[in-house]
Order: sequence, then C-alpha cells, then structure tokens
Amino acid sequence: MNNTNRALNRILILVIGLLTLLAGAALLAITTVHTIRADYRATAPTVHGDLTGWFKTIPLAGTGTSWGWILILAALVLIVVLLLIFIFRQGHGHHDTLLREDTTSGGATVIDSEVAEQAIQHDLDERPELLASHVSTYRVRRTPVLKIVVTCRRGESPRQLAEHIENTLTALDTLLGRQIPALIQISGGFRARLSRRTRVARTAHAR
Amino acid sequence: MSAPAPYSYRRILRRETHSSRAVLAIAAAVAIILLCLYAGAEIILMMVNHTALLAAPQDMLSALSTLGATPIAVPVTIGILLMLLGVLLIIGALTPGRRARHQLLPSIRAAVVVDNEVIASALARHAAHAGNTHPDNAVVSVSAHRAVIHLTPTSGTSVRSDAVENVTREQLASFELYPHVHASVVINANGKVGA
Repeated sequence: MNNTNRALNRILILVIGLLTLLAGAALLAITTVHTIRADYRATAPTVHGDLTGWFKTIPLAGTGTSWGWILILAALVLIVVLLLIFIFRQGHGHHDTLLREDTTSGGATVIDSEVAEQAIQHDLDERPELLASHVSTYRVRRTPVLKIVVTCRRGESPRQLAEHIENTLTALDTLLGRQIPALIQISGGFRARLSRRTRVARTAHAR
Repeated sequence: MSAPAPYSYRRILRRETHSSRAVLAIAAAVAIILLCLYAGAEIILMMVNHTALLAAPQDMLSALSTLGATPIAVPVTIGILLMLLGVLLIIGALTPGRRARHQLLPSIRAAVVVDNEVIASALARHAAHAGNTHPDNAVVSVSAHRAVIHLTPTSGTSVRSDAVENVTREQLASFELYPHVHASVVINANGKVGA
C-alpha cells in the first residue's frame, strides 16, 4: 500500500549482486586461472603506474597529495548521499484527505481521512473477536484507499470476519455517499497466540 | 474523485502478497555506505599525513596491482565468498518473494488478504471439533498451495478421518482462497490421554 519503489529496490539489489559476483569471479580468475593471471600481472602494474602518474600531474597545492583523491572522495560522498536518499525514500504514502470535491463554484468540500478511520475504528473496537485493529489511509495511484488491519483471535473464520468488516464499510459508504476503495488485512501474529481462544462478549453495563 | 468503474485492486493485492525487498535493499545500501565511509576515512587520513586505520589507499592500490604474485589462499577465499554473496543477492532480486498470505477471492466491497496463520487456526478449530479433540491437538501448517493438518486423537476415541477431511475441505471452500489451497489430513497413530 505504501509507495515504496519496489522495482528500484530490486534493481539496486541486482546491481550490487552482479558487481559483487563479478568482483569475486575476477578475484578468483586472477588468482587461479594461469592465462588470466599472466595477462593481469603483465598489465596491472602499468595501469597502476599510469594512475599514480596521472595523480602526480594534478597536485593539490603543495600538500603532497593530489586532486585525484579529492575527486574520489567526491564520488564516494555522492554515492553515500544517493544511497541515503534511497533508504529514506522507503515507505511513505499516508494521506490525510479522504475526499475533496468542488461542490459549488463558491467552495469545496473536504473530508479528512480521520472521519472514515475513526468511524471504522469505533465499529471494530466493539467486536469481541478482534484483538486489535488499525485503520489508515494511503494514496495509491492518486486514489485514497483505506487500509484496515485487524488481529483476530485464534480459530476465527476469516471469511466471516471479512464479511463483518465489509458490512461496516457499506455503512460508511451510506454515510459518505461515496465508495472508498479499501483493503482488509486479517492477521494473526503474536497477540493472537497469547490471547485466549474463547471470547466473552462485552455488555453495556459491565463493571 | 469518485471512481465510476469498480476500483481495480490488482496492484494493491500484488503488493500486499509479495515482499517489497526493502530490508534486503536497505541492508545492501548500508553495506555499500559503510564501505564508502571507510574508503573516504582512509583517503582523508592519508591526505592529512595521519597513520592509516588498516592500510593507506596507495598501498591498497599497489597490493591490487600485484595480486597474482601474492599467496593465493586469501584472495581465493574472498573471491568465493564474494561470489556467494553476489549469487544470494541476485536470487533475492529475481525471486517473487511471496509473503505468507492469501487473498479471499470474491470480495464484494473490499480487497481482503489473510495471513496463513489465521487460515491455519480456523482450520485447526474445525478439524479438532470434527475429530473430537481439543484444538491444541490439531497442528495445521498452511503454505501457498497446501494445508497439512496433523491431528492427535484423544486416547480411547476413534477419529473418522473422512469427517475431518470433509470439514476442512468445506471450510477451505467457504474461504475461497487465492492461490487455491489443497488440504491433507494426517492422524497420529498414538492418542493423547485426557486431551
């Protein structure tokens, strides 16, 4: 539901994987395959010499080092910054506005996500078969979508639960006069394992 | 704003039933960041004429250029480990990464996904009831296409395995899961006292 760029995740993993595989294979080939080793030993020192020679042609004003290192540092910083952006780009996608409609030429109607979230939450809180529930709104491809996550007691029928929650949603539709797409996620999890299987209905005048 | 056509849940369902690979991607990114920071630290230390943490960058480069001459045990091990890591990452990037969840098929109003765990405990309750035993004696594991029910009968009572099978099949049919799940029932030969 969130707008993590999954393709990008996979591409990054694939690129890093390929580079690691290549580096490993190169290392292995250089050290074990005779012809490659001979070639490598013939060319590597000259490449190394060229590189250090190039570094010496661009000295950094009297410090004994070279602009080459500064360039490498800049490249490293760039990679780190890009990867940090990539990491903090994960997730996100929560949305505050459920509906926005320009009803008249004079004004617009805006309904906050909270309205739907609290209405559903209130209804779900009263169900004894649910241990926990959480309602949130995500923006998926420009459309607000409700996400309803419930944790149920062990042994509950997921089909019945889904029907109950769908009824709640239908009631909300009547209230709003509009259907908001919704995802229902029924999960077990840790709390379900710890809780009792039997459930006792809450009554209005319970102490 | 309102969608006149029925909303297509395809993208959402795909995303809810498959891994985003975020953990692996973040781990790989953090590893690369740490490598970059280390290399950067060595370069800066070298530029201010400080002693290196492990090896100065120039020494690293010259070691790399004389790779074929050095004893080969260490580079071979590193090479194999790197290749292994690379293959694992590539597998992670290309496999679908299915999560332990199913979709409930004809959802009238909303898209519904259910953890396999919930399906398993619902099946366990019904199987145990049909087998005349306590729900704790029914162990159910649900994977993408199979549900296996292990039932330990109460000592002294007989379990009709066809009854248990019918009940679980009925339940599964009523859930209407996607991908479809086939159930099989295994009844332990040894019962349990007082269960």
